Amino acid sequence: MSLVQLYVPTEVSRDIIYQIGQLNLIQFRDLNSKVNEFQRSFVKELRRLDNVERQFNLFKKELDQREIPIKTFPYEHSIVAQSDIDEHVENAKLLEDRVLQLIDSTDSLYQKQKDLKQFKYTIQAVDHFFAANYAQQESYEDSALLSQLEAQGSSDTHTASFISGVISREKVGTLQQILWRVLRGNLYYHSEELVEPVYDVESKSYVNKNSFIIFSHGAIIYDRIKKICESLDADLYNVESTKNLRLGQLTDTEIKLGDLSTVLSQSENALSSELIMISRDLAKWWEVIAREKAVYKTMNLCDYDDSRKTLVAEGWIPTDEISTLTSTIKGADNSQTIPTIINVLDTTRTPPTFHRTNKFTNAFQNICDAYGIATYREVNPGLATVITFPFMFAIMFGDVGHGFILTLAAFTMVYNEKKLNAMKRDEIFDMAFSGRYILLLMGIFSMYTGLLYNDIFSRSMTLFSSGWEWPENFKVGETLHAKSVGTYVFGLDPAWHGSENALLFSNSYKMKLSVLMGYVHMSYSYVFSLVNYVHFNSVIDIVGNFIPGLLFMQGIFGYLSLCIVYKWTVNWYVVDKQPPGLLNMLISMFLSPGTIAEPLYEGQASVQMFLLVVALICVPWLLLLKPLYYKRKIDQEAHQYQQLPTDEDELSNNEVDVAHDDDDEGHEAHDFGDIMIHQVIHTIEFCLNCVSHTASYLRLWALSLAHAQLSTVLWSMTLGGAFYTPGLLGVIMVFFLFGMWFILTVCILVVMEGTSAMLHSLRLHWVESMSKFFEGEGTLYEPFGFNDLLGNVL
Amino acid sequence: MSGYTVIIVFIFVAALSTLAWIFAPKENRTVFRSSVILCLAMCYLMWAITYLAQLHPLEAPRRSDLRPEKHD
Repeated sequence: MSLVQLYVPTEVSRDIIYQIGQLNLIQFRDLNSKVNEFQRSFVKELRRLDNVERQFNLFKKELDQREIPIKTFPYEHSIVAQSDIDEHVENAKLLEDRVLQLIDSTDSLYQKQKDLKQFKYTIQAVDHFFAANYAQQESYEDSALLSQLEAQGSSDTHTASFISGVISREKVGTLQQILWRVLRGNLYYHSEELVEPVYDVESKSYVNKNSFIIFSHGAIIYDRIKKICESLDADLYNVESTKNLRLGQLTDTEIKLGDLSTVLSQSENALSSELIMISRDLAKWWEVIAREKAVYKTMNLCDYDDSRKTLVAEGWIPTDEISTLTSTIKGADNSQTIPTIINVLDTTRTPPTFHRTNKFTNAFQNICDAYGIATYREVNPGLATVITFPFMFAIMFGDVGHGFILTLAAFTMVYNEKKLNAMKRDEIFDMAFSGRYILLLMGIFSMYTGLLYNDIFSRSMTLFSSGWEWPENFKVGETLHAKSVGTYVFGLDPAWHGSENALLFSNSYKMKLSVLMGYVHMSYSYVFSLVNYVHFNSVIDIVGNFIPGLLFMQGIFGYLSLCIVYKWTVNWYVVDKQPPGLLNMLISMFLSPGTIAEPLYEGQASVQMFLLVVALICVPWLLLLKPLYYKRKIDQEAHQYQQLPTDEDELSNNEVDVAHDDDDEGHEAHDFGDIMIHQVIHTIEFCLNCVSHTASYLRLWALSLAHAQLSTVLWSMTLGGAFYTPGLLGVIMVFFLFGMWFILTVCILVVMEGTSAMLHSLRLHWVESMSKFFEGEGTLYEPFGFNDLLGNVL
Repeated sequence: MSGYTVIIVFIFVAALSTLAWIFAPKENRTVFRSSVILCLAMCYLMWAITYLAQLHPLEAPRRSDLRPEKHD
């Protein structure tokens, strides 16, 4: 990483920054970090573009409401001229006005339509009400009163002898109750449901409504009823009380309604054609505006020189890409009289961490970055993760069949990479897709470990000649012991499969496997810390941290691993000795040093004493050497600069400090206490972690055993049982149980178990492996570019 | 077959790793070398552990559900 400084002439600054954005190479530094966001140079331009984006958002809202899809094509973007941007801004303004006007007019038309419709229904409801009561005139006395009322109404011009209107259905009960209480029951109330819901413009939804008629007496009471109705958002309509007049009103309303709907459909059409036109280009416009905004935001990070003739920008760039930058900028402004100047700066600042990845390594890098961004120039754990992550997974997931299913799924994604990449993916599928190469390796390694475990869907394969021989002559039901005739060449001997003591063997095998694998993985990771110390030229860290740590770890767990392997290589029947329990050996090495109950080899007592002493020496070594070294150094420095600074000096020093504070990071000053506390924590953590992390690798054993057992159980519970049923029933059972077995295999054993094994593998990397060397105090390199500006809006 | 198989295969794997180191492609050289060699090493380790675990078995498989083969 290098820090470069660019002097860009103001006239071409926008174009140059745009070109740099297309390169996607420089991470610009904020040179105005002390300047308020609102006081920067290009706030005005940004405001203008923000406004355009707001307008675009409005269009998008309208489009979404009408479910018009926004067309997105991969557009070719070149530098857009300033005048084009102005045109976009103008255009957006015009379109906004037009769309808003159209929306307004359609809304008001909808409002009118709603009114007319409700009026129509009210008239009809009143009509129904009177008609029904006429029909029953003989049986009801009070309806006679009604007819009187109607007859009276026909002669009288006073139409407000009843109140009619429309109210939302939810409020019908409330209205009724309130009226009853207020008028103390002195009213006649009738309500009828409208046949269709009415469109409400304000809430943009269809609302179920009821029409109602209220009879009462007295003008004051009518006023009161009206007020109550209006407070409940009811719409009141004056309906004529005589049949003929009502008929006239009805036809009138229907004619108006007919006219209105033609106008309405026309303005609707105009609006949607306008919106469709917008939908065709919106994505393109938006991209242009978003890019323009990104450019101005970047220019806000830059500094002006005093004469405001040139823009000064600083940013991080990968050192090997400087030539690309230079040639691009040269090509862009050879017509200019004042050239753009590129300067590479010397700096003590820590650059951001950049690991160049390709489509294969990207997902693995993401696994490590999710835990922490590596400190600049420290070993990138992503490199080893490429293999160790899928392999640790495979140790837990070992089964040829399940591995094959996983491989197939991953291979399909890899094979159709281009097609799937262009597709819009949902969240879960996107996760699987971005990790397709991880899945592929996980599948392949699972097949390998499956071969070693000799498991294919929990069945075994006899690929080579077995190392065990069963006796020839025996009776049915007799307990048989196999005789060893050799060693199975590749993987677990199939003779173990189905034997009564299979678990006894596979338990011991898988436990030792996981301890050995864990030990190797941790030692491998620990060596990375040496690589780091060598790179940063830190001799004290090698002597005070790496060497005692290495001796401690190897003395205990390296020794244990060596003993495990050694014990395997001895033929205990030939030497005619009791094979020792290694776990007890390790425990008694600490609890009763020097006494060996069951010797593994000669001179074991003295070797173990020696290792114990070494481990015990390592602890204070690890604890004290580094802090004492720094204490000495601090003391020496104190001797060298004995003269105390005068007040004046201090003052001027402070000024210089303030001035430099902006440019360079000062060296962090540590005193002895800080270093000591840090080292104490490190020592305790390291020694305890050696034990707990080794134990943590036993999860490899537990999960692989659980996986194997679960698949055995699934087999015997479903498909395995079906094979013993004879006849047609057996055929049908095999058919259906196969389906069940296969679905459960995929869902539970591959997907669910796979996820859990993956999480465990993740933990082994983040905690057990990366804690051995990883500092993770870096910042991510995020170059300025135009990738995925609209990812979350369109 | 004896314990020496493990050593012979180790030499073989080491030779393969050397070849992978030498004939690594120019592009992505570090990733290629580290991945291939690490992969070979882990596969070898896993195999060797499995092989060694069965080299001098302390326990023999035991079962009582076998049926004698019929010799007609």
